Amino acid sequence: MGKIVKSFCFLVFFGVLVEGLNIWPMPNSVNHGHQIMYLSNDFALKSDGSKYNDASGILKDAFSRLLDVIEVDHVIDSNFSHFDPMAILHGIHVIVWSQNDELQYGVDESYKLSIPSHGTQVYAHIEAQTVYGVLHGLQTFSQLCRFNLTNRAIEVHQVPWYIIDQPRFFYRGLLIDTSRHYLPLPIIKNVIDSMTYAKLNVLHWHIVDTQSFPLEIPSFPKLWNGAYSISERYTMADAAEIVSYAQRRGISVLAEIDVPGHALSWGTGYPSLWPSKDCQQPLDVSKEFTFKVIDGILSDFSKTFKYRFVHLGGDEVNTSCWTETPHIRKWLRQHGLDTSGAYQYFVLRAQKIALSHGYEIINWEETFNDFGSKLSRKTVVHNWLGGGVAEKVVAAGLRCIVSNQDKWYLDHLDAPWEGFYMNEPLTNITNHQQQKLILGGEVCMWGEHIDASDIEQTIWPRAAAAAERLWSAYDNLAKDPSQVFGRLAHFRCLLNQRGVAAAPLVGPGRVAPEEPGSCYKQ
Amino acid sequence: MFSLVAAVTWNGSQRQRHSSCRHHSSDPHQLYIPNCTRSSSDFFSCKFMAVPYHSSSFVFVFTLICALGVSLGFNSTSDLDDSLVYLWPLPSEFTFGEDVLAVDPDLSLAVGGDGGNSDIVREAFLRYRGIIFKHSTRFSKFRGRSMYDISKIRIIVHSDSEVLQLGVDESYSLLVAKNDDHSIIGEATIEANTVYGALRGLETFSQLCAFDYGTKTVQVYNAPWYIQDKPRFVYRGLMLDTSRHYLPIDVIKHVIESMSYAKLNVLHWHIIDEQSFPLEVPTYPKLWKGAYTKWERYTVEDAYDIVKTGKVKKNAFSRQFCFLVHISLVCLDLKLRQNESCSSFMAGINVMAEIDIPGHAESWGTGYPDLWPSPSCREPLDVSKEFTFDMVSGILTAYGASSAIVSKDHPLAYVLASYCKDMRKIFPFELFHLGGDEVNTDCWNSTPHVQQWLQDHNMTPKEAYQYFVLRAQEIAISKNWAPVNWEETFNTFATNLNPRTVIHNWLGPGVCPKAVAKGFRCIYSNQGVWYLDHLDVPWDGFYNAEPLEGINSASEQELVLGGEVCMWSEVADTSNVLQTIWPRAAAAAGMQ
Repeated sequence: MGKIVKSFCFLVFFGVLVEGLNIWPMPNSVNHGHQIMYLSNDFALKSDGSKYNDASGILKDAFSRLLDVIEVDHVIDSNFSHFDPMAILHGIHVIVWSQNDELQYGVDESYKLSIPSHGTQVYAHIEAQTVYGVLHGLQTFSQLCRFNLTNRAIEVHQVPWYIIDQPRFFYRGLLIDTSRHYLPLPIIKNVIDSMTYAKLNVLHWHIVDTQSFPLEIPSFPKLWNGAYSISERYTMADAAEIVSYAQRRGISVLAEIDVPGHALSWGTGYPSLWPSKDCQQPLDVSKEFTFKVIDGILSDFSKTFKYRFVHLGGDEVNTSCWTETPHIRKWLRQHGLDTSGAYQYFVLRAQKIALSHGYEIINWEETFNDFGSKLSRKTVVHNWLGGGVAEKVVAAGLRCIVSNQDKWYLDHLDAPWEGFYMNEPLTNITNHQQQKLILGGEVCMWGEHIDASDIEQTIWPRAAAAAERLWSAYDNLAKDPSQVFGRLAHFRCLLNQRGVAAAPLVGPGRVAPEEPGSCYKQ
Repeated sequence: MFSLVAAVTWNGSQRQRHSSCRHHSSDPHQLYIPNCTRSSSDFFSCKFMAVPYHSSSFVFVFTLICALGVSLGFNSTSDLDDSLVYLWPLPSEFTFGEDVLAVDPDLSLAVGGDGGNSDIVREAFLRYRGIIFKHSTRFSKFRGRSMYDISKIRIIVHSDSEVLQLGVDESYSLLVAKNDDHSIIGEATIEANTVYGALRGLETFSQLCAFDYGTKTVQVYNAPWYIQDKPRFVYRGLMLDTSRHYLPIDVIKHVIESMSYAKLNVLHWHIIDEQSFPLEVPTYPKLWKGAYTKWERYTVEDAYDIVKTGKVKKNAFSRQFCFLVHISLVCLDLKLRQNESCSSFMAGINVMAEIDIPGHAESWGTGYPDLWPSPSCREPLDVSKEFTFDMVSGILTAYGASSAIVSKDHPLAYVLASYCKDMRKIFPFELFHLGGDEVNTDCWNSTPHVQQWLQDHNMTPKEAYQYFVLRAQEIAISKNWAPVNWEETFNTFATNLNPRTVIHNWLGPGVCPKAVAKGFRCIYSNQGVWYLDHLDVPWDGFYNAEPLEGINSASEQELVLGGEVCMWSEVADTSNVLQTIWPRAAAAAGMQ
């Protein structure tokens, strides 16, 4: 490594200031030169010197995916006898310091990537604490490669490269909603693959809501009777496959059951969860069975969803069914609770159940707004209603995830990418200790008007704009989004080449292209 | 733009009603309707019976048959009904029963016949196995108990010819039945004359398979199935336009793969238009300077790779799948199959290339400005220059006379030459589209040297248009291509067109009847019903279109090769092309 560094002519750049540097999201620090290397035909992975033995094949698979995305389906058929042998890059040498490949909140995702400018049998180097850092390094490497259509070789321009990178936030999420519309398994896998390109690392799976209950719950096997149809369902084995697929790509899956407000579909299989047949939501707070079901679900979850957190929802609870239903009204009276007290009781009891299964809890912000001081100290408050919430949450000493709907709700089709880019999770939070309580942020793809036919272009490229906000060092972020238009357009075209249906940047929010033209200008 | 998604949704019951009661007619005076009878205690038999087609009796017959369908269990409920026939497009003949068969996740392949041992069959089998087993079957209740009814799929292909051309036999029969006393292992059997018929049979088989969430196995409902199927038309096309917006290779392959699900069989590749010229032409290496950017291009190897495929997109699925079942040898083999012959199409889909001349060719002049009448008046191509026709000829040849020169400058030429000498080999389909639509000859009139040429040759601009088209046709024919031209050429100078011309309808209804009356072949793409870029045309508009409308004699009907839905890309790119194509293209596929 030392030799390589010495041979650099040091030209230190920070992304947004530099023309022609097309990496998204922008790494922490970037040095590069002005030469070209060509990827060898038998571009190889080696990992001698690593403590990590890759028994599960995470690294091997990631390398094979890397080759696919840099070929972007072109026929690579170069004649290497025409190239300077000193300009051939023979592979990537990966060094992973940790043997542990458990993926968990806060896992070290940093990496160093260096690519030499010449030499015999030279390799690029990626060095990282964990294999997940290496995955990010490989993503960055893939963005430095371009297929040259004239000489049919894959080129790395601007060598030598020396990149040091790490995320600004540990939680960089995307919400998908499989209740309003069922998303087939290949679609979810495609979304996971596309997240890795933008270095997002949490798939928040809003599995169940009012409209449908698609997931199998072994403890309560009638729950998925609430699915839209017999085929629009996931077995728990499917869920495990999603979790494993994501984990092998460095992405954690945060499972959500949104209680008590968004749970009408639960009652299709178990009608006694409804206050009554005519008043079906929120879940019946008065019955022990309600909490038994929640316990069963979270018990089943804990075997498959291994992320530290579980999301318990808690938003938009309209308690009128509780007061309108005689047996619940009676129960409220007996327990001396008004409806807001019962809402608090429900949320806190659900929290305790989650804690008993080893989870920390995420709840939507209404729970904090209504009874923040009562929440478990292990609660992470998930902002959505608007700006200004995060500062109150961290002032109260709780952790927070930022998703203010005016900027980071992808189902707001008229929300432009510039707004996604400029939304700053640490707004008005200056105290360093409080800043640390902001875990990160999340863009939300609610599914009312989105299904398998248009989810990709509704997510991308706007989620990528937020992804840079969540990954890149604050000082590297553009103060004016127009400065990054070209680089983001380039990333959007890269997504297109990799088969992701990312929408044009030009236009108000998510739109179809207005007229014929190059991808890079739209 | 995106509202079309809502506009074209339907529920399962409607879909079924259409598929079971829709006429499948090769004669417009007849309706072919499924006549389902309960032939024994557990068999339904459906045949498409010819029924006289008179407007007065149509409604009656239609109603009657639908009523019959309802009485047989085709009733609509809000839930999906297991007893319905969920096949699209609906096969021409089928019978089914009431058994439920479990399919072994380790489904294996057995082949027979002279053509059974084909890579195309083997690869298709692997592809479809990935499609059929999308859900995890790890917890199948049958797992390890060898209780599966279907453990093997037997594919018998009679012909060992893998030539894919217009009219190739795509028929197949498919039998899915429980093992009887004679055999221990249950099988599904596909029998076809060609590998391409076998591919269609595999597609149908995959649609019979459904994951059952109760047993966590893949099941075939309503077995035993006996299906005999063949397409009504030999040409079932979809057009893609890579000039208005460049489509990455991955996306084109994805579209090809999706076409195979609806049994479409021709990808009409409108490669070039006035906006951009994305394809490499080795004989004229400056042509692709007309691309939008240096990244938005296709090399000739890419074109070859796309055509050869019909090959299937290398998606994560099949790779992961390969890994899972430890057939790495096979996967490796697939990766190394660069040397196969140009004519082997893995998905049974022909690619028809188009250069749209002389009207839609402004981008040609970016690299060769001489092709423009003048720098200020750039379209149509300059009819007065021999260079223009040299260029057309060069494109249709690619590695022709000048390949020696090319190989000197181009390290790859020798590699390419070894498997694909020229454009004719890259696009082996017998049809080549020469466009010829929307030719505005103003530039010819307003450019002095072209005007002079017209005078010297005693031609009006309209005659020059004819001269251009006919000359281009001759070039294509000399390369053994049959030319396809948009209908304006027929509308303007029908009698002079080469008799091998295929007329491509688009402006409106009633053109194919005129074309076939004059003995030309015809492809139906009436823009009012089959243009996918018309976002407000709902799927039933696509479904109700009839390529044979107004054509009565059997001999004239034969001249209608089929139809094509057109995905013009002015306002469609990678981000929305798939949902603009589907499901409306499937509705048209159902008619074909």
